Amino acid sequence: MPCQQLNDVIDDYIDGLRSDALAIDRHIAGCNDCRQRVERARSLQAALAEYARTSVPTPDPAFFTRALRAAVQDRGRRQHTRGWLKGFSSALAAGLVIWLVAGDWIGTHEQPVAAPLQVTMALESPRTINLVFSSATDLSDATLTVSLPPGIEIRGFQGQREISWMTSLREGRNVLPLSLIATSPQGGELLATLQHDDDNKTFRLQVTVTQTTSELAKHQMEYRT
Amino acid sequence: MGASGTKNAEGFEELVRPHLERLYRYAWRLTAAKPEAEDLFQDVLVKAFDRLPELAALTDPGTWLARVMYNHFVDNRRQFARRRVFSIDESQLPEASIENLAGDLDPALDAERRQRMQQLDRALSALSDEYRLVVLMHDVEGYKLSEIQDITGDPVGTVKSRLHRARARLRDLLGADATFFHGASCKPVSEEDTDAVPAAE
Repeated sequence: MPCQQLNDVIDDYIDGLRSDALAIDRHIAGCNDCRQRVERARSLQAALAEYARTSVPTPDPAFFTRALRAAVQDRGRRQHTRGWLKGFSSALAAGLVIWLVAGDWIGTHEQPVAAPLQVTMALESPRTINLVFSSATDLSDATLTVSLPPGIEIRGFQGQREISWMTSLREGRNVLPLSLIATSPQGGELLATLQHDDDNKTFRLQVTVTQTTSELAKHQMEYRT
Repeated sequence: MGASGTKNAEGFEELVRPHLERLYRYAWRLTAAKPEAEDLFQDVLVKAFDRLPELAALTDPGTWLARVMYNHFVDNRRQFARRRVFSIDESQLPEASIENLAGDLDPALDAERRQRMQQLDRALSALSDEYRLVVLMHDVEGYKLSEIQDITGDPVGTVKSRLHRARARLRDLLGADATFFHGASCKPVSEEDTDAVPAAE
């Protein structure tokens, strides 16, 4: 079997759909390139199987019950998770609000946070911060720039102090999850600036760094009380 | 709610409850974001309850529910499409859900696994919507080709061809990263370009 022919049927082969699998087995036994090609295809399938197990968060056990109840009892009044904060006169000047809740924020205790926003994290311990922008209208071609204080990094962007994205905001809630890590203890101010046409709005987040996770827990307890 | 309403509600729940988890996962695959997935899921349950007599007569409510979801998503793509803030350059942002992978006992293995899943997530995000969805439905969520045909309305042959091209594109994308296949590189087959996958459909 020529290599090109195997390349054309590799997916059927790894899916077990080829009647000439024995001939393919013989070919790949003697062809290093094709063997590696098959190994890569199988490796991808294994990775996708693992992705299935890890990439969808398990919903709150009560979510299904609530959704069923809403479907049969509250038709037309169901609680959608988007579409808050409508009615602002100007999308950027008044209609954008930054909400900040760390970690698992959906359906828990979302509250608009009055400035200055604060978050505490432990040194060298990654923490996901969800910046939630609510917009009164769709905004296309906006630029979001995150400026980081020294010693705070976005994972995957090591060493970068300022990162910008071209983005579009949809009416309603828009989420930017940032996986932050503190590489030094000084902390500082993180700025998130959203620019659209000639308008811009800057949100400030004060990041405090503790030396250890136990110190972080103590700090959070004191903060609550 | 009267007695008949209560009976309808109980019958509805009995019919759809076995399919909810898979349906929720499908909503997540379509929207790639929890708020949108929950909205889509809720919308479909409302639609399904409105069509309870039709639902009750089906032999395969799961596929029917998925088809209703797919059509509702397509009809309201603007509302549900992947338009999160980070979708524009999503390829470079670590996904929170991937970050939150349950840890292994071996931190090194755990880190390697997380990195692999992030690489795969980025590659999936780089696919066109059609390619990404067929991979997610077939290889991730386990829908059969015939089920995908029933859900999307596309012929099996089209679905299969799309799946193979999507996988090839994924292998190309991931192969560009030396770490994903652990050095299992191979030289391209001649004429491979004749079957090259476009960057976007």
